[in-house]
Amino acid sequence: MHIKTNKKTGSLNAAALFLPLAMGLVAPTTAQEDEEPADEWFVLQGGDVHTGTGAVLRGASVLSKNGKIDEIGYDLYIPEEAEILDVAGYRVYPGLVAIESRGLFGGSSDLANSVDPFSKNMVLALSAGVTTARNGSEVAKLRAGHIDGLVLTSGVLPGLSYSKSNPSGKRTLRQKFEVAVQYLEVYAQWEIDKKSDKELKEPSDKGVDSSILRYLRGEARPVFSASTRTDLLEIARLAQRFGFRPIINGCQEGWIVADELGRAGASAIITARDRSTKGEELVRTGGSSIENAAILHRAGVSVTIIPSSAGISLGGIVGRDLMHLTIEAGFAVRGGLSEKAALDGITIEPARLLGVESRVGSIEVGKDADMIVTDGDILHYQTFVQWAVVSGEVVYDKEAELFFAHIRPRPKSALSPEERVDAGETEDEEIEEDSDDSDSSDEGGEEGDDKGDGTFRP
Amino acid sequence: MVSSSRILAVATFVAALTVASAPALETPGEQGLVLLARKVVTGSFEGDGVINNGAVVIRGGLIEAVGPRTDVAIPEGYRVEDLGDLWITPGMIDLHCHVAMGMQDLSESAYLTNPGMRASVGIIPGNTNLLNAVAGGVTSVLHIPGSATNMGGQGVLLRTAPRAFEDALIRDPGSLKLAQAGNPERRAPWNPRRSFMNYNTRSTFRRGVAYAKRWAEFEAGTGEKPDRDLQFDIFRSLYKGEAQVSTHTQIYQVVLMTLTMVAENFKLPVYIDHGTFDGWRAAAKAQELGVAAILGPRGITNGMNSPGFASYDQDGAIFGVAAQYQKLGHQRVGFNTDCVGPLGRGIAQEELGLQASMGVRYGFDNSEPYGVRGVTSVPAEAAGLDDRLGRVLPGLEADLVISTGDPTDPRCSVERVYQAGRLVYNTATQTRRF
Repeated sequence: MHIKTNKKTGSLNAAALFLPLAMGLVAPTTAQEDEEPADEWFVLQGGDVHTGTGAVLRGASVLSKNGKIDEIGYDLYIPEEAEILDVAGYRVYPGLVAIESRGLFGGSSDLANSVDPFSKNMVLALSAGVTTARNGSEVAKLRAGHIDGLVLTSGVLPGLSYSKSNPSGKRTLRQKFEVAVQYLEVYAQWEIDKKSDKELKEPSDKGVDSSILRYLRGEARPVFSASTRTDLLEIARLAQRFGFRPIINGCQEGWIVADELGRAGASAIITARDRSTKGEELVRTGGSSIENAAILHRAGVSVTIIPSSAGISLGGIVGRDLMHLTIEAGFAVRGGLSEKAALDGITIEPARLLGVESRVGSIEVGKDADMIVTDGDILHYQTFVQWAVVSGEVVYDKEAELFFAHIRPRPKSALSPEERVDAGETEDEEIEEDSDDSDSSDEGGEEGDDKGDGTFRP
Repeated sequence: MVSSSRILAVATFVAALTVASAPALETPGEQGLVLLARKVVTGSFEGDGVINNGAVVIRGGLIEAVGPRTDVAIPEGYRVEDLGDLWITPGMIDLHCHVAMGMQDLSESAYLTNPGMRASVGIIPGNTNLLNAVAGGVTSVLHIPGSATNMGGQGVLLRTAPRAFEDALIRDPGSLKLAQAGNPERRAPWNPRRSFMNYNTRSTFRRGVAYAKRWAEFEAGTGEKPDRDLQFDIFRSLYKGEAQVSTHTQIYQVVLMTLTMVAENFKLPVYIDHGTFDGWRAAAKAQELGVAAILGPRGITNGMNSPGFASYDQDGAIFGVAAQYQKLGHQRVGFNTDCVGPLGRGIAQEELGLQASMGVRYGFDNSEPYGVRGVTSVPAEAAGLDDRLGRVLPGLEADLVISTGDPTDPRCSVERVYQAGRLVYNTATQTRRF
């Protein structure tokens, strides 16, 4: 155990009141409504913090206040009531973001009203480092144990189709873009003209596709599922002609037309190990390539990585489901993608595609305190997530769950023996035995808080 | 012929350009080759498992010497190539796959036991799956019949790169494929159950071993020449230890049946394939009998999703299968893919290394390079090929993988592959396939 708390008796009442309030289990009484809930402080202390912004802070601390990152660095002022997780010797990364997921939340498409916060798959996804995931058109946090505060946004990744397999559909979509572009030109002119003539009527958007207007205005980005070089080239040209930024899911032959996709400002969602053969009848380059992610990235296409299965698979075959998101990223590295870009591809890049980059995807002040603590390089196959923190709260602890606790059990803090003495189970028991004594020390008081403040007091 | 000292000087000069100026694909010449690498993982259980700053000397398709580069003498006239930070490991060996031909031709189910059938008759050497295997560092495979029946027939050991069958062939018969249980129940024309399957399999073994003994007696001059029976000829190879029984077996009772029936009762060379679900519970017995465990592709097992026939209670824990064998003292744990061929289905042939790294992820001790051994020397030994393949050792064939690091790490790419001293894959001159 590494968690210790510094709460003093004075903060007990507020904390005790706030907890049931936050969980929505107890209706507040009138008298209590006036009281401000106490701030919730949480510190990841002394880890090597890989912020995801390029900076790595060795032995630094991340302080969060009410679920948001408040400060990152050294010698931080830690409020007395803060909960501290000592992670010296471990690495801290931003929680991973799954651009696609299935079955993590134990609910239907309406997550806010159907989530199962005790879902086994949610815990397993957390064990793989995933703290945010798209479920259908919603994006939610894996806030295990909570029924509130999960859904970040909805209506994400609106789909479009533009493929040579559907020529009339292509024609129709192009026409819609043309209509929308004309409307925007008329609208822009109206905005100028109305300055001199206030009576001028706003142009009607009747017959104009509202989604396409959003894409053209840069308010949303459409996602295409496309993999052949022909379709990819067509999409790139469409995007360049009308001026929007496409997201392409699959993108297997993207490496062949990478420059075009780069010029179109495209983003790609890729499974690094995707395999497809070049048609024998094709004389030019075709099919999948392990270098796809690397080549696209070099061409300026932002790369998001997802395994071939976005669910949790316990059938036994390992390495290709969401529990192995980092492994898939590793295969992108095999094809030449830098480790930084690979990590981006499972953190900040998917966060951007989902429009939640202001909340998650990197460790920055003001963002949600969603972080994972690992025992090694996140992209190494042997690395395990030791703790996952969502909204400034530990929601996964490898040692506390049944699944992986037995695999390379966490040493009892070999790197900071003092902390171990402070927070160790054995010490707790001893204190418990001693608790009848009247001389329960200050140290004992601090310890005791772990099991509900006051338990060990005389 | 240029003098070796001059070659050395040139080699030093060219070192920085190594990758760009790497030779095109070549045939093994009489000229020897010295490869200098950051690490050489020998695959061997004895001696130095890892040689830092190593040198490997190869000539005529064989490894002549291996050791720290300061200790290895460079023979006159040998070309020296410094691979910089790259690693050299033995070519990987997959003892369970179905990639050398279409599956539709592979699973014969004329009888419940078909020991006479041969997978070698329909091989397509150098097919896409096999070439991808090369790019994953997999140099040899045991291509076996499926498990529609208890004995699907004989597997064949193949090299992955050659385009011609004669060049690809390592050994035929490579194995007798036994599927102890787990598939024949569903796939055989009727639905046999375990009691009858075991009875019938045992009966086939008994007849086969009796047949082999008659031939052994004849060959020793103590018996009459028996009639040739193609159904049982494979047992002559098994009896002499020239081939093994490769067994689709998983679940504790089934693995136990493999061990007692094949190894203990009939004393035939055998190894475990799959070995999953709670098959690890028989690990100590397997170790005692010297039966290698070639595990996969199911790398983890848990009580939650285990099928009805394997209901060992793990109290929620997810076990690494390889880790459990190791924990119970098994010392010859290897990995397979069970690749079924067509792209996008099952495990790809080139992902054999991943099976090992996933084993390590889920608890298999890798403090020694057990992961690499599990895909090189362990399968070589299990298949009786350890005098030819599976280690970087003088006298063995030069099947070498040149990679950017631990070849089982998904992040590390294979840059070159040598098969019997022949450079068969080189990313400097060829498209990277994996």
